[in-house]
Amino acid sequence: MTAQEFLSLIKSRGAKIFPACDDKDLTFANTNLQNMHAAMLAKFMQDLYKYSSGITLGSACIFGSKEIKRGIKYPLPSITEINKDMRGNKNLFGKTVFGRNDLFWFAFDTMGNCFMLDNLTLSPLRKYDDPYRAMIDCLVIGKI
Amino acid sequence: MQYNQNSALQRLTALGIDDMPVIEYTPTVCKLDPDWFKKYSALRREFLASLTDSMEEIAFMNLPQDEFINLVMGRALPENTSIRFRIPLIWGGKLDIKNMFLCWTFPHSYNLDRFIIEQSDAKTVYLPNPEKKVYLTTHSGGGGDGGNASSDRLSQAAFNLMSGRGNE
Repeated sequence: MTAQEFLSLIKSRGAKIFPACDDKDLTFANTNLQNMHAAMLAKFMQDLYKYSSGITLGSACIFGSKEIKRGIKYPLPSITEINKDMRGNKNLFGKTVFGRNDLFWFAFDTMGNCFMLDNLTLSPLRKYDDPYRAMIDCLVIGKI
Repeated sequence: MQYNQNSALQRLTALGIDDMPVIEYTPTVCKLDPDWFKKYSALRREFLASLTDSMEEIAFMNLPQDEFINLVMGRALPENTSIRFRIPLIWGGKLDIKNMFLCWTFPHSYNLDRFIIEQSDAKTVYLPNPEKKVYLTTHSGGGGDGGNASSDRLSQAAFNLMSGRGNE
């Protein structure tokens, strides 16, 4: 599955896809993640950010490379803000959180593998070979 | 991190949720039924439909009309709202409406996740337990049109005009 195919699928399920970010935001996010010893943006995330700077579906979201303003609603924090808040948790060492819903958090590691994490301890519950499968699992729970 | 009642409330204050009551709980990991997710999905819808008794709180959420109607009809959750468990299922919480509450995803649900994650190695944990089904902080009321704040501002402006000062 490509980033475009993923976005098309998730849009058909009612997801809100925010406009793409520019290369400057991507570089800034990557530098910040590197400085906090989190995993740098995996290729699939960089591909996704070329088309969208963040996605929400109900209570679930994929964080963007920069904060997303949502009118009178609280802004969606950027991937760097989230990982700055979560820094220091031993279960997240070498991982970068990229999404959350009411039950689980989602992260990728330096090799680009994705994980579903328990939202009470952040311990890994499931490993994904297909990153877009992980993103779909992250978002669809927001809709139920 | 092992909190006590005071330090738990202090941490919640630092996270901007200073009016959230907490309960002390000793977590024991439980096995979930194989069909828990199906039951959970159904329960979320049931919870939404039950919110007709929380109209006052929902009104304070200042939702757009379509999201308000979808919520009170039990059709869909508005953007940036989450349904949380008071006692998580894996720690013995029941799949029951009484074990659920609604709050904003950002910043509240996200910060409550952080608060619980910080206690992941503790023997006893402090869990958020709001009084009502819908949790809104006392700070989220905000100032709208009318009310005392507007009246005060108008009085101040009138005083400034009469005393020959600008309205700075």
